[in-house]
Amino acid sequence: MSLPIATVSHLTAGRSQIGTSLSFHLFFAVLGVGLPVMMLAAEGMHLRTGDPVWRALARRWSKVFAVLFAVGAASGTIISFELGLLFPRFMAYAGGIIGLPFSLEGAAFFIEAIFVGIYLYGWNRLSPRAHWLSGIPIAISAVASAFFIVTANAWMNVPRGFQIVHGRVTHVDPLAAMFNPAWATETSHMVLGAYLATTFGVASVYAVGMLRGRRDSYHRKAIVLALSMAAILAPLQLAVGDLLGRTVANHQPATLAAIEGVTHTERGAGLNIGGFPLPGHNGDVLNVKVPHLLSVLAFDNPNTPVRGLNTFPKADRTPLAPYVRLAFIGMVGIGTGLVALGLWYWLRRRRGTHGPEDRLTLMALAAAGPAAFLANEFGWLVSELGRQPWIVYGVFRTSSGITTAPGLGVTFTAFTLLYVGLTALTLWAVRRITARPVQGLPTTALAVAK
Amino acid sequence: MSLPAVIALALGLSLTSYAVLAGADFGAGALDLLSGKRCSDRKAIAETIGPLWEANHVWLIFSITILFSAFPAAFSALGTALLAPFTVALLAIVLRSAALGLRSSPGAQTRSQVMLGRLFGLASIVAPFAFGTVAGGLAVASVQGVPIGHGTPAIPWTGLFALLVGALAVALCAQLAATFVSLNLYRSGEDLITERFRRRALCSGVCVLTLSVAALATSAATTPALWHRLIGAGLPALITGSLAMVLSLLALAGRWYGVARVLTMLSGAAVLWGWFVAQSPRLVGTRLTIHTAAATHPALIAIAISIAIVLLLVLPATYLLFALFGRPVLEVIE
Repeated sequence: MSLPIATVSHLTAGRSQIGTSLSFHLFFAVLGVGLPVMMLAAEGMHLRTGDPVWRALARRWSKVFAVLFAVGAASGTIISFELGLLFPRFMAYAGGIIGLPFSLEGAAFFIEAIFVGIYLYGWNRLSPRAHWLSGIPIAISAVASAFFIVTANAWMNVPRGFQIVHGRVTHVDPLAAMFNPAWATETSHMVLGAYLATTFGVASVYAVGMLRGRRDSYHRKAIVLALSMAAILAPLQLAVGDLLGRTVANHQPATLAAIEGVTHTERGAGLNIGGFPLPGHNGDVLNVKVPHLLSVLAFDNPNTPVRGLNTFPKADRTPLAPYVRLAFIGMVGIGTGLVALGLWYWLRRRRGTHGPEDRLTLMALAAAGPAAFLANEFGWLVSELGRQPWIVYGVFRTSSGITTAPGLGVTFTAFTLLYVGLTALTLWAVRRITARPVQGLPTTALAVAK
Repeated sequence: MSLPAVIALALGLSLTSYAVLAGADFGAGALDLLSGKRCSDRKAIAETIGPLWEANHVWLIFSITILFSAFPAAFSALGTALLAPFTVALLAIVLRSAALGLRSSPGAQTRSQVMLGRLFGLASIVAPFAFGTVAGGLAVASVQGVPIGHGTPAIPWTGLFALLVGALAVALCAQLAATFVSLNLYRSGEDLITERFRRRALCSGVCVLTLSVAALATSAATTPALWHRLIGAGLPALITGSLAMVLSLLALAGRWYGVARVLTMLSGAAVLWGWFVAQSPRLVGTRLTIHTAAATHPALIAIAISIAIVLLLVLPATYLLFALFGRPVLEVIE
């Protein structure tokens, strides 16, 4: 094969392909979890207040959701196949241990797809109340899907519920595998992350509209609704993130060292804030070290030692430690920024109405949406790159899971092109939906407020 | 009946649901391509599959999860030996879903709708064709002692038999879709368009019959071992399928659309079960059977329970969906 891409190593091509697929799907999965809640909230407000603006918002979001769901369901299908196409030896090993959450996810996805059909096509077929109710199973099953899939990921990080005897998997306990020590923190972190990205994403879209001068009740309501959810969830996410950090500290010491930038073992380890791992520097660019804080955060004891990366055999530590650290800094930095922004908005809000609408706040909100999505992607990079070289931490190496079939360079190229095309098409479709004037609203609702 | 057999049965039923329900959605794409510039036809197709196709697609995901949880070794072998056709099928499925989802979104202009329509149509032909070749290849591999794995293409998915099965799958999808659309149009009293779809259903039905005979003849000539299994254990399915195919054509000729729909679904299911029975209990090649490829007992129990949960939840919900939208929908999402 003369394609330059075919010279990329087999393992790198396979990992890049599944990595690209996951980061593409994550975007749609996140909105798939979050948007139904926003739609339900807006439609519910319409049922309660009769204000047509709420209904117009719910309808518009449901149209965008229809496009995103179609692409998300398809990109999810790719991943379910790719597990076997790219990592068949991993699946031969893991399928019988962690199959339970996957098949339960099948149930959740079924319910979701069925009610998506009913909800999207039911606006004029069902009574307003019945239509609102038909959205509830979507919101619940979307969260359930995320929950089941992330328990499987948690198992890859903290594997439980099986034994290896003479190279064979035995003593499988599907429930113990699914409810491994990381399930609670990892799933909560993901679901909150999805809600945050969606709410800040929605706020961001309407903040841009306001910056362009459309300061009407339609835009204002969208932002108020999004931020009233976001401001509550963002601090919760910081707390859950802290708990997840403890899970990592207790079960993935090599990963902890990589994400916190601990190169040498420290007794009473300090927390590195900043500390960008730029090439040629020893992770000390713009670093502020808070003494003992890492030991406190990870082990509740200011003097507990934290193992440094250098104590792990070279073959057992992630070859991508600087990227893991960068992604972690990015995620935590953005998360902290979002908390601050949410607080700022609510502290400054006019009593009983809405928050500040000055240019600076709107610009911050406009940036917050993309940043929140980026934080989700960073989180996945931390989980996936931080676990390397293992596909199942401490048990099964990624290099042992990759397929023996040739041609991954070609499939990787094909799928990358597919994702580029799909991204362009999706942006185009969403743009066409949002470019249309809002329908069914009295002109007063769209009047520009002073 | 052993636990692996029960789960294999569920897997077979799930694949059958996928074939006859999502098959019609693929066929709709093929018909869309044939509709040329006739907006009325395209609209009839869109209205028939509109609210249903996403849910139908989930049967594929569900089948995949059963396969890799209950028979991980078989899933692993399939992924290794069939990287190419599955990659093609995946690309097609994704392009199909995206084209369909984006096309029905409001605001799309006529020119882009035509372009997305072509993409939808082409991808809808490629996907069932690729799956058909996989099925044909697996059937042949199940009687040949070719070892699986290590680079060698052990599953002859590019053989003549496999290619014929691929074409058969496309024709079956088209017949399913044309019959479904005819029934919907007939119920809403659109006689003129109904006739056009009835003709398409008849044409594709004749193709189904011809391709089935050709595929069977090829198996008899090139892989006698498969032929013997098909006319041995597979005989009941073979007879049911042939009868259903012929009767579906007669029903279409007589304009009994409801009957034609049931018979077309039955013939599709019979083709599938003929294959399942002929290669049972083998899954991939001769060595990986539902027993040798099965996961451990506790894992199988967990899968069986989750299958039961899926059915308990999904069957009533599917009923609700089809009750609401199985009849003509007069408004697409505006």
